[in-house]
Amino acid sequence: MALSEPVLTKRIPTPPFGDPRNRHLVGYDEYVNTGGYAGLKKALAMDPKAVVGVVKASELRGRGGAGFPAGLKWGFLPPEDGRQRFLTVNADESEPGTFKDRLLIDFDPHLVCEGIAICMHACRLDTAYVYIRGEYHAQARTLQKAIDEAYAQKVFGEGSILGQINGRWPQCYVHRGAGAYICGEETGLLESLEGKRGWPRIKPPFPAVAGAFGRPTIINNVETLAMCGPILDRGADWFKSLGKGRPAGAPPTVPASFGPKLFGVSGHVNRPGVYEENLGVKISTLINDYCGGMRGGKKFKAAVPGGISMGVVGPDEIDAELDFDIGKKHNCLGLGTAGVIVMDEDTDMVAVARNIARFFSHESCGQCTPCREGSAWIYKILCRIEAGQGTTRDLDLLLELAGSMGAMPGTTICGLADGTNWAVRTILNKFWGEFEKRVTAERYVSLNVVGVR
Amino acid sequence: MAWTMKNSAGAPAQEQRAEPYLTDEMKKEFEANLLPRYPTRRAATLPVLHALEDKYGWLPYQALEETAQFLGLTASEVGDTASFYEMFHLQPKGQYLIQVCQSISCELTGHEGIIGAIEKKLGIGLGETTKDGKFTLTHAECLGSCGSGPCCLINDKLYENLTTANIDQILDALP
Ligand SMILES: Cc1cc2nc3c(=O)[nH]c(=O)nc-3n(C[C@H](O)[C@H](O)[C@H](O)COP(=O)(O)O)c2cc1C
Ligand code: SF4
Ligand code: FES
Repeated sequence: MALSEPVLTKRIPTPPFGDPRNRHLVGYDEYVNTGGYAGLKKALAMDPKAVVGVVKASELRGRGGAGFPAGLKWGFLPPEDGRQRFLTVNADESEPGTFKDRLLIDFDPHLVCEGIAICMHACRLDTAYVYIRGEYHAQARTLQKAIDEAYAQKVFGEGSILGQINGRWPQCYVHRGAGAYICGEETGLLESLEGKRGWPRIKPPFPAVAGAFGRPTIINNVETLAMCGPILDRGADWFKSLGKGRPAGAPPTVPASFGPKLFGVSGHVNRPGVYEENLGVKISTLINDYCGGMRGGKKFKAAVPGGISMGVVGPDEIDAELDFDIGKKHNCLGLGTAGVIVMDEDTDMVAVARNIARFFSHESCGQCTPCREGSAWIYKILCRIEAGQGTTRDLDLLLELAGSMGAMPGTTICGLADGTNWAVRTILNKFWGEFEKRVTAERYVSLNVVGVR
Repeated sequence: MAWTMKNSAGAPAQEQRAEPYLTDEMKKEFEANLLPRYPTRRAATLPVLHALEDKYGWLPYQALEETAQFLGLTASEVGDTASFYEMFHLQPKGQYLIQVCQSISCELTGHEGIIGAIEKKLGIGLGETTKDGKFTLTHAECLGSCGSGPCCLINDKLYENLTTANIDQILDALP
């Protein structure tokens, strides 16, 4: 069922509810006059643990890529010990196809501030850093302005309506990254925040126990936090009436996909952009009802469901439902950031694979050999195939290389390598014929057999 | 982001000058408004390097040394951090840094034509700077503007929905 009213985009005119030409930066006064900070007020009237309870009950799942339940994460924090505890807001948004957090910061930054304040109150965190990617120059300025307003209105700072937390007045700072995709990975982000190169850490310990500066730290995506205001204002049941629940009769251990979500659609559609819809919306619905159909009336060929690390869905999967279960149903990694990249019939999938491999090769932080070397070789092999100099053996080699790298096969520290793995394997497997046509046949002689008989 | 050697992370020029890059005024401002934000001085590395890069257009080796001294670090610690990030340039660049997005959504919408048009207009290739030192052309990975590609950053300004025609006007309009 389609979303009946905008939630995250309430103040950001977006089709079908509004005309993007009417978008403007919503300041503090307009935000409050349109119901803003009502969720924070309700949260402040509650015991912090009860606020965590509401978020837990809503089953809000992280919007930054991994879909981890936010309330559960908040529950991992150790008891307070009077020393500093941190919130780091992940505004690094650098995964190709992803441009949704930017929309919130560009036009309704107080929605993000409200979520930050709610999380600080609920989790007893006294200092928040918004880690925003360095290339978001304008967004960093807009956000700083909103935070300044929030300070003036006593959301943060001395005399804050949150009161003292851990014996300190709550503070919220913008911290700019400097151009490295890996700093979006939560522990890479922490290292970078501490002034070092963004090398992801080996886990455990998890950030909730030992995060920024060795202290308990919560890391959430911008959109995840932005969702907290509306949830606190309208309740967990309201949130769970939206999106896609678990199948009838399924036990509560089966993860569901409740709530609305921002979908950034790019590529070969007539009206690319960020749209808000219930989780579970079909790719075809986004393309046809929101994006004005395929560009030039071309046929659909493939789509990335949510940022390139998720892999692709093929020509017969246009009706795939975009929810947290998409990975299992359509043989891709998952929903990711819900940045949908649409490709039409003229798209060269070898070129797509080459582009994606180059991205991962370039952005690998270099700590783990399978990721650093594997992605570089995958890129080289794909360039060779694109140039018409590949062999059938290269295709097997690609699958073998890709399949052996990632945190899930257990060969690397972080999930960047899994992205390479899934992107390359799904493109290759779902468009095998296209790759085969581009290479020359070469009989594969396995070294294992040589000399045995 | 770099574990490979790239231009911006190349061997830094080592000339020293008497006048510091990290001025007393900057230091005072950082002590008052930046350092109190963090539990460690090292955490101010990125903001300080950003400020220096903004002021001078690149990060001379001496500036890294001064940053290290100011933050109580070794020059190699600051160098280690600086060389990791794409936005920190250890060598001079042109007055305008043009970064064209080459990631997938922008390739699907034709970034190659845009790069070609810029190369033709400025007479330089990727990674090069015009002789008058005005423009440096490079490509970037996804700029977070995938719905309005192809796109590019020119210094801190984002330009979206580029065409071979409007990129011409954009470059002409730069002072
Ligand atoms: C390589 C890599 C890059 C990531 N980039 C981002 C990012 O740019 N923004 C983001 O919110 N999460 C990113 N994540 C996910 C974060 O690690 C983390 O799961 C997320 O910020 C948690 O917030 P959430 O639970 O609210 O989604 C990335 C993960 C990996 C492995
Ligand atoms: S998997 Fe890749 S990006 Fe992640 S820590 Fe290892 S080398 Fe770095
Ligand atoms: S792919 Fe070019 S801005 Fe995202």
